[in-house]
Amino acid sequence: MTAPSLSPEDFQPLQSSVSGQQLSRPSLSYWADAWRRLKENPRAMASLGLIAFLLAFVSIGPYLWQVDPSAQDLDQIGIGPGADRSVTLAAPFQPWLPEQQATTLDDNMLGFTLAMPATTQAVRLVWTMENGTRYRLYRNLFDPSDTGSFGLPLAELDRSYFEDRLDLQAGTYYYSLVMLNADGSETTSTVTKDIQVTRVISAAEALQRGLIESEDDAQLGMALELAWHPLGTDYLGRDMLARLMYGGQVSLFIGLFAPLAFVLLGVIYGSVAGFLGGATDQAMMRFADFVVALPFLLFMILFKVIFGIGPGESGIWPMLVAMIILLWPAPARLVRGQILQIREEGYVSASRLLGGTTTYVVGRHMLPNTLGVILVTITFQVPSAIFTEAFLSFIGMGVAPPTPSWGAMCNEGIKSMLTRPHELMFPALLISITVLAFNLLGDGLRDALDARMRGAE
Amino acid sequence: MLKYFAKRIVLGLVTIWFIASATFFGMHAVPGDPLAGDKAMTAQIRANLEAKYGLDQPLGTQYLIYLGNIVQGDFGISYTQENRRVNDIIREHFPISATLGILAIVFAGLGGVLWGALTALYRNRWPDVVIMFLVILGISVPSFVVAAISQWSLVGANLAAGTTILPIGGWGTVWHMLVPALVLGLSTMAYLTRLMRSSMLEVVSTDYIRTAKAKGLPATQIFSRHQLRNAILPVVTVLGPAIAGITTGGFVVEIVFAIPGLGRYFVQAIQQLDYTVIMGTTVFYGAFLVFMVILVDLVYGLIDPRVRVEK
Amino acid sequence: MSEPLLQVENLHVDFQTYGGVVQAVRGVSFDVFAGQTLAIVGESGCGKSVTVQSLMGLIPMPPGRIHQGSARLRGQDILASKMIAGQDIRGSQISMIFQDPMTSLNPTMNVGSQIAETLEVHRGYSKSEAFARAIELLDMSKIPEAAKRAKQYPFEFSGGMLQRAMIAMAIACEPAILVADEPTTALDVTIQAQILDLLGDLQKETGMAIILITHDLGVVARMADEVMVMYAGEVVEKGSVDDIFYRSGHPYTQGLRQAMPTNNKSTEAEQTLVAIDGSPPDLFNPPRGCAYHPRCPYAMQVCAQQAPPTSILGPTHQTQCWLHHDMAGALPDGLVSGNEAGR
Repeated sequence: MTAPSLSPEDFQPLQSSVSGQQLSRPSLSYWADAWRRLKENPRAMASLGLIAFLLAFVSIGPYLWQVDPSAQDLDQIGIGPGADRSVTLAAPFQPWLPEQQATTLDDNMLGFTLAMPATTQAVRLVWTMENGTRYRLYRNLFDPSDTGSFGLPLAELDRSYFEDRLDLQAGTYYYSLVMLNADGSETTSTVTKDIQVTRVISAAEALQRGLIESEDDAQLGMALELAWHPLGTDYLGRDMLARLMYGGQVSLFIGLFAPLAFVLLGVIYGSVAGFLGGATDQAMMRFADFVVALPFLLFMILFKVIFGIGPGESGIWPMLVAMIILLWPAPARLVRGQILQIREEGYVSASRLLGGTTTYVVGRHMLPNTLGVILVTITFQVPSAIFTEAFLSFIGMGVAPPTPSWGAMCNEGIKSMLTRPHELMFPALLISITVLAFNLLGDGLRDALDARMRGAE
Repeated sequence: MLKYFAKRIVLGLVTIWFIASATFFGMHAVPGDPLAGDKAMTAQIRANLEAKYGLDQPLGTQYLIYLGNIVQGDFGISYTQENRRVNDIIREHFPISATLGILAIVFAGLGGVLWGALTALYRNRWPDVVIMFLVILGISVPSFVVAAISQWSLVGANLAAGTTILPIGGWGTVWHMLVPALVLGLSTMAYLTRLMRSSMLEVVSTDYIRTAKAKGLPATQIFSRHQLRNAILPVVTVLGPAIAGITTGGFVVEIVFAIPGLGRYFVQAIQQLDYTVIMGTTVFYGAFLVFMVILVDLVYGLIDPRVRVEK
Repeated sequence: MSEPLLQVENLHVDFQTYGGVVQAVRGVSFDVFAGQTLAIVGESGCGKSVTVQSLMGLIPMPPGRIHQGSARLRGQDILASKMIAGQDIRGSQISMIFQDPMTSLNPTMNVGSQIAETLEVHRGYSKSEAFARAIELLDMSKIPEAAKRAKQYPFEFSGGMLQRAMIAMAIACEPAILVADEPTTALDVTIQAQILDLLGDLQKETGMAIILITHDLGVVARMADEVMVMYAGEVVEKGSVDDIFYRSGHPYTQGLRQAMPTNNKSTEAEQTLVAIDGSPPDLFNPPRGCAYHPRCPYAMQVCAQQAPPTSILGPTHQTQCWLHHDMAGALPDGLVSGNEAGR
């Protein structure tokens, strides 16, 4: 070792400047430390933000978007988000007298033709008639030559015209006319026409919907805009956004309140069992085992019957009661295990030895040490409660129509999934986001509250 | 070991008795006793019910008759369909549900162990990130939505191919089972993957894995003989609850894919308020789950020497 | 003296963590001779376990990294990438036993198979041969009814029995060196003595070298031929047992000795136990100069500025302390200079 110029001063005793006992890090309380670690977890904080947003969506949302969730917009049934809202003002519906009107038929095999412009009031079709022949008319949303099937016929006719007024929406329809043999079987004489249906509205209707100020303003052919549904409407023409907000109130209420209630019940039961110990504990836990084995669905039915849920009633309470009565044993077991474990810990014995009363030991040691576990349990029970609501509503045992809930909306949306996917996707998305947020928050809380993780960076 | 399981089976029987009693008294606590009502009941069914349940007898006698029937393995007769016994319904529809359920649990178990082990091996690298993202998705999306989307995709795929690649519903061949079983097992698989991953990571840092390394064992041998076996133990313990989850999940999947299983029949019975079928099926399901949990415990005992020797 | 079996030179190990780089081992050198026991002594966290675990390739990499130094077993570098993870060294040439035998064995595999596994891998024994040999090894480790015990699982063993099983496992392939990382810390005092006796007997029979890691000076006095004292990832003093116990030249060694109760001290002052004030330094950011200076009662200005040079106190005895420098004043009471040591 090359010692660069050492002077005698170097060998003077060192003034002890720092105490060897100094603490390297400031001490934080358990909860402050947990909060600090939660804040450092970006996923947990993002999910916390997401949960705040969802709560605002269902609580403040209805004040910002004041649309009645049960009002039906019959002009716009089952439309997707961002659908065309334009509508043309037309004369009120007039009966059609096809015999009195001459129409130039198309030069196709059957002369199959649209008699006048197709509107949502009516689609009027004519064709050449061969005496004694019957025709079958089909209407499809997709080109039948692609799908290879006509589906169910619209009508079977022995005349040369047809007026379709069945549930017409703006868009393209494929009408197929098939000539029939004498025995009723289909011939190969088939013509398919794609027909653009435009949306029209009469002046009286426009006034009623508030689209024009008075009938004097109305001019035929005037372009108007129908009510706006940002997320579309469902199969009854109800506004999706409003329904999602109100449905969220039901889903989140059950999702948050049920876990709070049954975890609290479980905590009380479990801590009493753990505290008393011995035979009482054994008996209480055996009873909990039996309750776990009870079938959930059966109890749902029972409560529905007992509460006398009829049509038009929500059915939220029986679901809540059934969940509380059947789901408490899991948290009870958890808390009992914790209490039994903590009871044996050195610091509890030490506290007792130093003269701590039962209340003090419970309040100062047992509760704070189980609170973390309880909090994490509640967080993880929220997603499962939301799933349970959705599952029950899906199989028709949950909230009763017309009360919206995200699960019930999924149940309705699944029926028309192929043609109008938005009716299923929006509520499903909200359920998924909520469940995801609570799962991530639960993960974050568990990591943050795990005392073993303290100090581990 | 034998004594322990004898005790478990006795306890299981008591649990089934508890379920049966709760079901019976629950149903009779309903105002306007559904079994005595006359809604949707033909004279033939009423006669059958009266003979079967002794409806003209006092409640205590009815309870004994009911328990007696269950002990004999007789779960009752239908309330809405003439001359249809719950036993027949179970015999006809349960094998379908069971096949679907077994496929789903095998799929969930194998998948969970495989993906969990893989994510633990590739911790914080891209296979881990991708799989864990999918797992979070699998846990967060409700099963009926997964079912609906996969059926929708099947329709799309069939349409695009111009032929039926896989049937979109119904029952009969292996091809009918494939997608429903996948969908049914998916959320369980996601849950097991998470569990397996954390279990693997816990085992990796144990002292005995360090010992195995110090012994100079090849990495593959450490993985297969020491790590995997110990990591699987916690996964096996949750198979009991997982089977219960798959059973209820089966209700939804059977409805969406139009599979004539017991779950779908059960939901139909619920919607038609066929009380006797609901009661019978409930007790049957309860008994089934109780014995599944015992079976899982038995399997666990075979794997973990600590349980095998001590109990 | 004969050629050393294992030569470690200037070993540096650090860990990359989120909080920064932990310099766990900073320039450690030592030799291990056949048939001899080297004890590595120091407080918790001084880097003694990391030193031997890095030789065994048990340091997880990353975050761990051996960024400097060499280790030669019979002249062959074992830190070279292939050797360290390779199976020909670990378990066959160098083997290791750990602090807590209760958790160091696989709970789901019977003890005999865990011993047999080593033989199957390193010696190519068949399953039955290996198991038969495992029973012999358990017998050698003085486990009664070895044949029956071999088929049992770890949870059926007591702590002392498990440590014997661990030793049986470690000596299975007749290694040249046995590393014992605090082998008796988790055991009862009476069991400790039995385990130490067993290690001593096995060493006599097989002639293997033992590297014994401990913070118990009583164990050192009983087992060691040579002692290495570590502080904050560095070697502060190295010498024979007598050098360290009777002629220590470093204030830290002195502090350790004064903190140890003995029964042959004569004066009142010697019977008082003296604790070393303070706690070991943060290895994220070790102090400048001598790492021990914040706690050293004799610290000088230079100690806080420059790392101390190596002072040779005897043929096998050396220390790193400024107090032995020519310019330093008279040595404090209890510390021994090179001249005195030579006498």
